[in-house]
Amino acid sequence: MKAGDIFSYSFSAIRLRKLRAGLTTLGVVIGIAAIVALLSITQGLQNTITVQLQKGFATDTLIVSTGRGGGLGTEGAMGAVDSGFKLLVNDTQTINEIENVEMSMAIIQKVGYVKFDERVRTTTIVGVDFAKYANIYSSTFVNETGEIPLNPENETVVVGKRVSDPWKNGTLLCNVNDTVEIIWTNPTARPPKNETYTGHVTAVLKEVGGFGVGGPSDSSVYIPISQAQSFFGTDECDMIIVKLENDDEATIESVSEAISNAFSEQVSVMSSTAVLNILSSVFSIIELFLAGIAAISLLVAGIGIMNIMIVSLMERTREIGILKALGMKSRTVLLVFLSESVIIGLIGAAIGIASGWGLANVVAIAFRGGGTFIGNQAARTAGGMTITPVLTPMVFLGALAFGVGVSVVFALYPAWRASKLKPVEALRYE
Amino acid sequence: MATIVQAVNLKKTYLLGKVPVEALRGVNLKVENGDFLAVLGPSGSGKSTLLNLIGALDKPTEGKMLIEGVDVSTLNDNQLADLRRRIGFVFQFFNLIPRFTARVNVELSMAISGLAKAERRKRAEDLLATVGLKERMNHKPTELSGGEQQRVAIARALVNNPKFLLMDEPTGNIDSKAASDILRLVKGVNEEKGVTIIMVTHDQRLASQAKRMVQMFDGLIIQEKVN
Repeated sequence: MKAGDIFSYSFSAIRLRKLRAGLTTLGVVIGIAAIVALLSITQGLQNTITVQLQKGFATDTLIVSTGRGGGLGTEGAMGAVDSGFKLLVNDTQTINEIENVEMSMAIIQKVGYVKFDERVRTTTIVGVDFAKYANIYSSTFVNETGEIPLNPENETVVVGKRVSDPWKNGTLLCNVNDTVEIIWTNPTARPPKNETYTGHVTAVLKEVGGFGVGGPSDSSVYIPISQAQSFFGTDECDMIIVKLENDDEATIESVSEAISNAFSEQVSVMSSTAVLNILSSVFSIIELFLAGIAAISLLVAGIGIMNIMIVSLMERTREIGILKALGMKSRTVLLVFLSESVIIGLIGAAIGIASGWGLANVVAIAFRGGGTFIGNQAARTAGGMTITPVLTPMVFLGALAFGVGVSVVFALYPAWRASKLKPVEALRYE
Repeated sequence: MATIVQAVNLKKTYLLGKVPVEALRGVNLKVENGDFLAVLGPSGSGKSTLLNLIGALDKPTEGKMLIEGVDVSTLNDNQLADLRRRIGFVFQFFNLIPRFTARVNVELSMAISGLAKAERRKRAEDLLATVGLKERMNHKPTELSGGEQQRVAIARALVNNPKFLLMDEPTGNIDSKAASDILRLVKGVNEEKGVTIIMVTHDQRLASQAKRMVQMFDGLIIQEKVN
């Protein structure tokens, strides 16, 4: 029997029981849609975060912070283990002596508030050297309005876009030339008390649209490092940003090691490449996990296919007897049943990929919209981000192959049983 | 004349549950090319079992079933399938596939043999016209009478130019008017086209129309008669 004839025969059998075949196919559709939606959203999210990270984290910079070894998420910048070691503002001098280092600068940052006209907003107060910061982050530490002074007064304040315009609707909390109150709760004082000084806004930054690791962020306010030292009453800095002469892999490595050694391995040195590597490995674990969950639903669909095929085999026992009496080979009977599953798998996968892709886009749009009106901290962080779902050819072909593969695997046993029916017995079957 | 079907001491034992049933207990039979043989007998006499063995749908427990001199027992699954393509089977309950029209049912046996679509269609239409169903060929079995369904089945059986036609109670399930039409058709096929026919029936009147008849009882041929 020719392949085309086998397919059209199988197709006629499927068409006979539209509802049943439809429900069976639906199982595959849901499984594939879940896989495609989850993977394309995750892929999109990864792309977004990578791009954001590259914006806020120049490739020729290193970030030095307290804490041994590790990078992002271990004991590095986020939640450093208190080993008693303190990184000081003037440690930049040590770092500047290392070969291939162009310059370095310290950052002191604390969570605090800005108060303007009785309106208070939580923010991160960041003390930086304006000139160096503007040099390292030349594309993001840029004024939208006003002027970023290279030799700032003590009262100079530069604010991020979201501090000036927190609701994204033009209602400004504060603007250039406004006077704001900078507030910080000193936790070491007994009892803890609010430290305050009056600052003068000289510039609003251009929207960065991401979260910077070390780099400028939309929701921070920037004050001169010397002011930060006296305001916070400390010489201890949170991180030192090191600008390298180039972004070669070898340079990054040798400087990282030299810095580590210089501080007897009490600091962690983070490079953007390392962060991106960690990020992509985290994402591949997430992807695997999500795909695994989705695959379970496909497994259930597969069992559904097997179930339906066995029922169909029973119903069509007599038909198989007729086909065999007409001279159909056992192998052809097997192929007839398998091609039914291929058809179900193909249709299911095709619809599943389309609806999964649709779902991913709906979620992305909802996410984009959600950022503006939910207004909680998470949404505010996410507010600047847009996820564009990505359907890679790998995911597309993989989903197609997986859908068809699962259908065929679960149809193997029923198809084999059908092919093994003895013609006389099959014909006698009522 | 060449011997086309030969049964030598043919025995077949079934297991009905755990009880062995001897359906055939040593049948010897020879059918020549161009013959029209009626196999007569009460139900349970083993005539359907004999027909299944001749049609290569089943294998004998003992003895030999020779089709054109080839022992069916020695053939493997694929060779049996090839052999069945050259045997026309007509069943008591028609055994058409309900979702296909008369024409597609006839085409199906040619599709199984791997014929091209255009050729299939032409031959199916010609044969359906021959059996008098030119106007009804695009109807499904449920829209056809018993007699019409059986004529579709005969067309399907003839379409691959079979070595011989096996008919299992072909008129057992249709009214007497349609039955005599079928018989006339079958006789015509035998006389005009020279197709060998072996027909199982328990109808004495029908059997008397054949060239030759054998009487079966209790798994044995007890009488042979030339009409």
